Amino acid sequence: MDRRTFVKRTCVGSAVLFLSGTDALAYDDEVQLPLPPPIDVREAPLGKRSPLGMPGLYPGRVVELSDARSIAGNRVSQPVVRQMLEQGMKELTGESSVRAAWAKFVEPRDVVGIKINPSGAPACCSSPELVREIVSAVESVGVPTENIVVYDRFGYEMDIGSYQLLMPPGIRVVSVQGDRLDAAGYDANVYCQAVFFGEWETRSYMASIVAGGVDKIINVPTLKDHSASGVTGSLKNIGYGTFNNVARSHRAPYSFTNPLIGVMCSVEPLRSKAVLNIMDGTRMVWHGGPLTQNQDFIYQAGILMLSTDPVAMDTIELEIIEKKRRDEGAPSVWERNQKSITSNNGEFYHDATKNLYYRQPGHIAAAGKLGLGVSDLKQIDHREVRMG
Amino acid sequence: MSNETTPAAGAATADNEWITLLCDNGRTGGQGAPPLEAPSRARWQLRLGSSVRSAPVLDHGILYVNSLAGNLHAVNVETGRLEWKFQAAGQIHSTPSLYKNKALFGCDSGMVYAVNRETGAKFWEFHTKGEVWVSPVVRNGVVFFGSADGHMYAADAESGKLRWTEQLAGRVYSTAYAAEKNLYVGCGDGHVHSLDAATGKILWSTATGNGIDSSPALVGDTLLIGSEDFFVYALDARNGAVRWRYETGLGISSSPAATVDTVYIGSKDGFVYALGTKAGELKWKTRAGEVVTSPPVFSEGVVYIQSFGTMALDGTTGKLIWRAGLGGSVQGAPVVAEGVIYVAGNGGEVYALE
Repeated sequence: MDRRTFVKRTCVGSAVLFLSGTDALAYDDEVQLPLPPPIDVREAPLGKRSPLGMPGLYPGRVVELSDARSIAGNRVSQPVVRQMLEQGMKELTGESSVRAAWAKFVEPRDVVGIKINPSGAPACCSSPELVREIVSAVESVGVPTENIVVYDRFGYEMDIGSYQLLMPPGIRVVSVQGDRLDAAGYDANVYCQAVFFGEWETRSYMASIVAGGVDKIINVPTLKDHSASGVTGSLKNIGYGTFNNVARSHRAPYSFTNPLIGVMCSVEPLRSKAVLNIMDGTRMVWHGGPLTQNQDFIYQAGILMLSTDPVAMDTIELEIIEKKRRDEGAPSVWERNQKSITSNNGEFYHDATKNLYYRQPGHIAAAGKLGLGVSDLKQIDHREVRMG
Repeated sequence: MSNETTPAAGAATADNEWITLLCDNGRTGGQGAPPLEAPSRARWQLRLGSSVRSAPVLDHGILYVNSLAGNLHAVNVETGRLEWKFQAAGQIHSTPSLYKNKALFGCDSGMVYAVNRETGAKFWEFHTKGEVWVSPVVRNGVVFFGSADGHMYAADAESGKLRWTEQLAGRVYSTAYAAEKNLYVGCGDGHVHSLDAATGKILWSTATGNGIDSSPALVGDTLLIGSEDFFVYALDARNGAVRWRYETGLGISSSPAATVDTVYIGSKDGFVYALGTKAGELKWKTRAGEVVTSPPVFSEGVVYIQSFGTMALDGTTGKLIWRAGLGGSVQGAPVVAEGVIYVAGNGGEVYALE
């Protein structure tokens, strides 16, 4: 094994853990969902896990800031976002200065990766305005410009979001793969392996930029529902956004995003490097995620959330999306009614009562059981800050 | 063979020449070419094995196509077979430009190359400190290009020797329009700049509300360009004053194809727009079905554009004439020449449709 360690985490043990007293893989009255297969993990040597890694310095703490001025006419206001980010960082850390708050997470010697979410661009993706502010904050701690990397897996989605253009000169803007099938940007020694639907390619490899290219990761997910996982937030952005060949985990109408999302997030060195989550909720997709461009389902929520705990953050995200769906008369993402399933993409993208999969929002609680954070709402320190 | 990528305004190149982005630096596209009927077959198709994120160019029977694998491919348009390919140091998002016996293009590792069009051998390379996604344009023997390092460069097209460089305040992904004495270019900091082509000195700058990916077109003394701030701008090319602007639903990465009467441009809101060149009034807009980031091409009465496939729209009404599910692209533009439409796209296939 050379310098790496082989870790086998079959889900035989884990599945028992998941199934006892959690909704993660619950059976529904109407539909019986298949059980997930074992997942083998091969990861980098554990060594000493970083205290900054998931769930990070402030387990269970989520700061939610809202300011209606942060978005208008689909345009994000960078000055307002800056105020929200600064206020949020101070609230999260208890520091009185913004610089001191950021210094808790990054050091001048770090190579810092900013993991964006461009899927769904341009209608709903990590706002370049927010990413620019994060870049500026990281620079303020003393990290050299050339040591800041804005990245995602898919280059063509980043192209649509124009991230290359909109970042300051000197920042590296990197896509892990140029093509759908390009595997050159992945580390062959770190992977998750499972057979979900009898597929031939059973491994998902970790992006090399995560395995060895960066020291710290700031995760910038968006506030969205997801047709397969229920919501796509911190966990899915950092998990499925780090490994390749992940779409195989869901084949309509079934989804094994639970537990694969959490398992991927737990793999080292990803777990230790992901030190901070900043969720862009200026726009919220409450149906049709993650790719919809249908403005009927995109709400200009004006929200930003900060947490070191991706499980707690996604738990709050799930609450927000569920409330919005109730307000709009759409069924819960927990619904597992056969009548709600369609194989027609056009119908899914225009009818909020229809979905392609039996969604798996239980992946959040499952990730909590893996030690990645707090999923019990009663134990989450949810701090709401109304700004404008 | 054209010696410059910049013909005089309104002078469209010959039907078998398409030597830079949108045919020539005047962005004249296929103007003057007869409209193509719905293609019924592919004369040939070629699998490059890597995504194409730029537009092909054509001259005298050879189609030049760049790919993300870092290759410039020379393809015989009669046979669809590869004549040669050149390996660059990084991925290529740059549309090639042809100048005399050279094919010029940039790559993501910061190099601009001049490659022999006959053999694929390298003449020279020029180093910048950021990726070069733009198409180099040549005028009066000087090649102009911007880089993500935030600079505009001018170099001797024969030798690659630097003439001048000028620092801008943002990344440059906009392909410059090279007029006789002035350059016009958009910048990631949201400004449109006019530079002195001889010295690089900035003559005027006009701010928009967000970064500019779009490459400008010039009609008379009106400069047309899109911005990520959702607006299409018409500027006075002499001083940068805004003559009109038109708001679309989302940001604009597409570049305009313009005539004296009409400007055609796509928006990320999924529509293709036709606007009056003089006053910016909406003539029509047509939903493409998907995000539009590629530039359109306009031939006699027909607008061709790639999104997730290739479409032909009636230039007067915007009505869909035909749609082909081939050539899906986020950055490419079709080449329309001699009754054939050449498209390449994200899937790494090149098609000659007729």
